[in-house]
Amino acid sequence: MSTGPYNYSYIFKYIIIGDMGVGKSCLLHQFTEKKFMADCPHTIGVEFGTRIIEVSGQKIKLQIWDTAGQERFRAVTRSYYRGAAGALMVYDITRRSTYNHLSSWLTDTRNLTNPSTVIFLIGNKCDLEGQRDVTYEEASKFAEENGLLFVEASAKTGDNVEEAFLETAKKIYQSIQDGRLDLNAAESGVQHKPSQPGRNNLSNDQQANKDNCAC
Amino acid sequence: MLPAQQDVLNIVQAKFLAAEVVKTIHLNVSVVDGPLENDNRILTLVEYNKSFALFVLVSSRIQPISFSDLSIESVIPLDQNFSFETEPVSGQNYVILIIRYKQNKYEFKIEIGKESCNFAAEIIHAKEVSLTGASNFTWLEKYFGTMNQANRNSETSISDQSDFVLIREGMAQGQASINRESMLKYQMKLREPEFTQKQEFTIFVGTWNVNGQPPSASLKSWLSVDEKPPDLYAIGFQEIDLSKEAFIFNDTPREAEWQKCVMDGIHPNAKYRLVALARLVGMQLAVMVNNQHYQYVKNVSFDTVGTGLLGKMGNKGGVAVRLELHNTSLCFVNCHLAAHVEEYERRNQDYKDINARVNFRKNPQAIKDHEQIYWLGDLNYRITDLTNTQVKTLLQRNEINTLLRADQLSQQRERGNVLLDYSEGDITFQPTYKFDLHSDIYDTSEKARPPAWTDRILWRGKGIHQISYRSHMDLKISDHKPVSALFKSEISVIDQTKFRKVHEDLLKKMDKHENEFLPQVMIDQTEVVFDLVKFREPQARYIIIANTGVVPAEFEFIKKLDEASYCKDWLGILPFCGSINPGEKCDVKLEVNLETDLESIYDILVLHLKGGKDMFITVTGNCQKSCFTQSLSSLVRIRVPIMQSNPQQYNLARNNQSPILYSVPRELWLLVDHLYRHGLKTRDLFESSALHEELIRIRDWMDFGSQDPLPGTPQAVAETFVLFLSYIKEPIIPFELQDVCVAAASNFQNCRQLLIQKLNDIHRTAFIYICMFLQELLKHSNDNGYDAKTLASLFGDILLRDSIRNAKPQASRGKANFMYNFLVNDLSALLIPK
Repeated sequence: MSTGPYNYSYIFKYIIIGDMGVGKSCLLHQFTEKKFMADCPHTIGVEFGTRIIEVSGQKIKLQIWDTAGQERFRAVTRSYYRGAAGALMVYDITRRSTYNHLSSWLTDTRNLTNPSTVIFLIGNKCDLEGQRDVTYEEASKFAEENGLLFVEASAKTGDNVEEAFLETAKKIYQSIQDGRLDLNAAESGVQHKPSQPGRNNLSNDQQANKDNCAC
Repeated sequence: MLPAQQDVLNIVQAKFLAAEVVKTIHLNVSVVDGPLENDNRILTLVEYNKSFALFVLVSSRIQPISFSDLSIESVIPLDQNFSFETEPVSGQNYVILIIRYKQNKYEFKIEIGKESCNFAAEIIHAKEVSLTGASNFTWLEKYFGTMNQANRNSETSISDQSDFVLIREGMAQGQASINRESMLKYQMKLREPEFTQKQEFTIFVGTWNVNGQPPSASLKSWLSVDEKPPDLYAIGFQEIDLSKEAFIFNDTPREAEWQKCVMDGIHPNAKYRLVALARLVGMQLAVMVNNQHYQYVKNVSFDTVGTGLLGKMGNKGGVAVRLELHNTSLCFVNCHLAAHVEEYERRNQDYKDINARVNFRKNPQAIKDHEQIYWLGDLNYRITDLTNTQVKTLLQRNEINTLLRADQLSQQRERGNVLLDYSEGDITFQPTYKFDLHSDIYDTSEKARPPAWTDRILWRGKGIHQISYRSHMDLKISDHKPVSALFKSEISVIDQTKFRKVHEDLLKKMDKHENEFLPQVMIDQTEVVFDLVKFREPQARYIIIANTGVVPAEFEFIKKLDEASYCKDWLGILPFCGSINPGEKCDVKLEVNLETDLESIYDILVLHLKGGKDMFITVTGNCQKSCFTQSLSSLVRIRVPIMQSNPQQYNLARNNQSPILYSVPRELWLLVDHLYRHGLKTRDLFESSALHEELIRIRDWMDFGSQDPLPGTPQAVAETFVLFLSYIKEPIIPFELQDVCVAAASNFQNCRQLLIQKLNDIHRTAFIYICMFLQELLKHSNDNGYDAKTLASLFGDILLRDSIRNAKPQASRGKANFMYNFLVNDLSALLIPK
């Protein structure tokens, strides 16, 4: 059957961005494995995770790219924004600097994705209430001013993690339903037909440039 | 629009993108001359950006409850190739909707009514709109790949020459998702007990060879003799029509007549709906279910197999219907096997052929793959080794068991020749063949066939309990008596809540697996720091990529956005792509070779795993200054060896801000002076290759300065001289002047003019200095073996080197010609005293 009861009908590409150490990889891990990864090493590159969810009865496969947060990788990770249907922008509620950098992350996201990309702001580590450095209210205001979805979450306890990923998908699905997101357009970040996890924006024709492949 | 229709429309819309608007649908459409299983088609008119297309959807359920119940059978664009008409059928409440697209013709039966009128009007309107604008049908392309393998009937109506050929869905979907799909199905099957419960259904199976007679009696005494109405009926006939027409054209009015008779004869205390009606010549099989179960019937298909004349005609053979009732797959096979006592082996073969050849197409299971199989029909096995009289005597004495020992079917089954693994209930009724018509008297004709149990019902599968197995003597219109069997069969019924839970659980597990099955590697270092990087002194570092995952990892260094290559010029990566098996590793060599003037090296490499993550490897190192990559204009401003110069002096010199101290760089002078003194008579001075260490010693001697004499052989110094001129930041004849120089090469005066007018003092002095040295070399031609042409060609490429290193040299001959002028003419007039 072309769309059997076990299959999925859409693929959404997500990226997770934000300063180093805000817990991007832990959020991904919590979402895909339902576990908290203590002592998570810094991501040096782009991790890749997938999960199938259901929105309005539709099975949707999320392809999630978790990027390195270190400033020095910024130029490289910019390559990964293209074609994202959802961007999860993460800060750490116990470290004000990670919140202060949001506008720069937002600028990148707006510049490098398309207008229909859903941006979801996540204030992570909300289990550490005692060390809070950014109030819910101001972040909420920031989100509102910039038209972002917002939630405080904890990758450790799992609070609101599922919600953030699912809400983003719902919003994207809505855009498809409303026709705001044109699936026939390139780089919508959404594929209607299931296919292999393709990533071609980075890997195109590099062979052409160096031909000393010894493999 | 009716509310029910609106519900279905919403489900149908979910099958499409939001921008692809389902304008209208028509339910309960069947394919003309198609089997009954096909009446659950939905014609759907879809619009995208003012272009329209008609989709024929097949629903796996009678009433779809989710978009996943629907599959696309055909896609027909409403362009100029599209036309349609309706054809009334006299005396019927339906019309035939005929759609033509290019050479294809589709015929659908639709009920006359408001729905069909509206639908036809919408299509007319849509076609008009489609034709007025420049409609673009590219949006349809993605659907051609999703069309399911159409069943036989539409395969014949959709010709292969069409532009819109059916594509095998497997190819369009990608292998991964298919594997996932079948994996999940398999896992769900394994865990079935968790979300299903067994419920007993009564199944009535009947078979009757009607000997070509028309229905002239009520079938109630056969079909509704039990107190309670069964849940499902499977009624098989043989020989409903023995006419030539039926045999040749496989068409008979008897089909409908008998079916009506069946519908009239089944249990009156329940309402039944026909699920499938299949027929091959005289063999007919109808499956009906109690209305209340109808919605739980899905994936119905049938097939027919002829094993008669020529081994394939339909006078003998079988018809089979398969379906899923709740979560149990059922298969009913009605057969009519070869006749005559001695032909039991032929019958065995017919049985095997039916099994081998039945093909349910879109439900690709064989008969044996079904959980429950009911095998019925005129199997035609006789009684052997007994004469007609003996049989009749035994029957009169009611010694059925003695007689059964001579039953061929029982014998053949015992020997494993037919219906192996099938069960049959005890036979307590007398043979059902062969009677004189309209009587209970066994054959009194000339042929005097001995009585036999030709009409049988067997079963295979778990949870089937036969309640009764009997013949029905009251029906006398045929030479056979009908037989029936009533079963209580365990059907696994899905508990939707539990099903969801198990399903979700499995999906989660598979997600986890999928993540586990992503390629995983570890690299031993993500920061590669090189020792002090020196000019043309390659330095290697190794990183180890270890496959820590469970699948082979294909890795590749990929380029970053807006970069020309996956690494910088000064780096080499070997191998830059490859595949590593789980548990194995790969050493990747990173080699830096500095040939330009850099203070430090820095790059981030992106190591990509196909279908997986990317890793960043940062490469850094500081570089040692060297005279080799400087410009002439800086070198002439530095008094001391470059490593002895303090940063301030060095920077001023680099920016041409300090005074010029030398007319030619001291490094150039040192090399030329050394060669002048020690190398003029050396044969093949520029051709022999020096040891790498030797070159490094000379480089360091020049960069650091030393009290010791210049180290190395004249050849090594000569090579250093060539290297110095090759790597100097700008060639002695700058890139932008090279073309005019080559153009002027035929005339020395012009070349001279160019030199004076265009070349700056520093470069001109260096050029003349080098040429004068080369002229000096030529004076010793006898010893060193060089002539002007050889040197001109050698140094033409160096002093006028190309902007792209290692590229194919451009116009070498012109450069050599230019050089030649300055090797054979007097240059003293060119020297302008400072």
